[in-house]
Amino acid sequence: MSTWSHTWLMTRRTVLQFPRDPMVLVFALVPVLMMFLVFGGLFESVSQLPGFPTDNYFEYLAPAAVLMTTMPGIANAAVGLATDLQSRYLHKLLTTPASLGAIVFGRLVADGARLFVQAGVILVLALALGAEVATGLPGALLMLLLGTLFAIVTFGVLTANVALKTKDPAAVQAVFPMAFLFIFLTTAFQTATQIESPVLRTITDLNPTEYVLEAMRGLMLTGYDWDAIGLAFGVILALGIVGLPLTVRNFRSVYR
Amino acid sequence: MPLSAIMSDGLGKTYADGTEAVRGISLRVAEGERYGLLGPNGAGKSTTIGMLATLVRPTVGRASVAGFDVVERPRDVRAAIGLAMQEAGVDELATGRELLVLQARIHGLSKREASRRAAALLEQAGLDEVADRRLAGYSGGMKRRVDLASALIHRPRVLFLDEPSEGLDPRARVDVWDALIRLNETNGTTILLTTHYMEEADHLCSRIGIVDHGRVVIEGTPAELKSRARSASLQDAYLHFTARNDNERKAA
Repeated sequence: MSTWSHTWLMTRRTVLQFPRDPMVLVFALVPVLMMFLVFGGLFESVSQLPGFPTDNYFEYLAPAAVLMTTMPGIANAAVGLATDLQSRYLHKLLTTPASLGAIVFGRLVADGARLFVQAGVILVLALALGAEVATGLPGALLMLLLGTLFAIVTFGVLTANVALKTKDPAAVQAVFPMAFLFIFLTTAFQTATQIESPVLRTITDLNPTEYVLEAMRGLMLTGYDWDAIGLAFGVILALGIVGLPLTVRNFRSVYR
Repeated sequence: MPLSAIMSDGLGKTYADGTEAVRGISLRVAEGERYGLLGPNGAGKSTTIGMLATLVRPTVGRASVAGFDVVERPRDVRAAIGLAMQEAGVDELATGRELLVLQARIHGLSKREASRRAAALLEQAGLDEVADRRLAGYSGGMKRRVDLASALIHRPRVLFLDEPSEGLDPRARVDVWDALIRLNETNGTTILLTTHYMEEADHLCSRIGIVDHGRVVIEGTPAELKSRARSASLQDAYLHFTARNDNERKAA
């Protein structure tokens, strides 16, 4: 049986688990719904300020909402990994012909697809609140892809390593609120010119989330800015090059 | 002389923290044999099984299972073995049937054959009525039986069982013994098991190796071990050889 067949079996196994742990499905949507309700109402007047790129605040908020779905949501993949490590089911799988790559990639494909769909649901909600995607469906799909890939190479890598080190689902869950910190320290809620503190502005400039967010916001509000999209994919690639080999190395430590 | 299904030469494992779990185990288990590794807690039995099943990397020596080197050809080894670990490693969100079917599919069985094998093993394990319930609701003994069934589903050439009847009630234990003997006699499956139950070792194993402090201190059939220790029971023989090993170590 090929690596692809094993990967598919692992993907299928993870997909079957989703409805059995409804918290996985609800968990990723609740913070974003709260954000839409609270921030949407609270900051709606911001969009009326001169120079704000849109008069619909939900349109401005939508790319951040996508990231707020995908980034904390990817932690569930790591919770699943920690659960398999704790129960030693992962070890059982490792003594089958399925390779470590197939076991890990199979889960990642399933969780990536879940996040893509969940973020899509949030985007549809933004549309229902009057937002529009300037680049239409292809741009919306590209935005969801950027949000999903960025979540995998940042928070996915971080939480997977916490899972590998601790083998404890609770430890992974304790880390997930950090995802919001990365998103809050960007122009997710207000434009760069509206951020008054120079320290915050510097932090925003240094935060890789900002570059992905900018590309996504471009797709949402203006059109295809290929420089920004290229930069976002570059950031994702760079983070992947740093994080994924580290994760693979830690994965190998499962073999004692 | 029959081929060795399991072969190890000076196989050892020292962990990164300096713990020397196994000091050099040399084994020859012939195809179709039922071999028991006995020894006190911490003697290195589980680490030995871990190394033979490709989960633990040996730091010294070499081993092959079903003719494949455990370090150089781990995928071939994995395709040939079944393993039930000390703690039942199951996915609690899956049902018993799903767990078995997945295990069978990974080993390359067709969908139809996987379903058929899963149904047969679930019935044999007395779990057919709960087959479609999630494993989270199973008792410890039931999980253990599902885990054992998953180790058998692809009809492995070599079966590793780390304390297979731990946590089972006496009836289930006897059922497991019968199933293992039947499997061994019908399919010629080689079985290497560890156990703390001497009656289990006596009943199941054609040959026994007693491990202590990371080495095999004596090897033979249950009758040979009893005879050499001048004991009526395997338990007394076991106590004799492990105590002697302790005395020799102290003297050294």
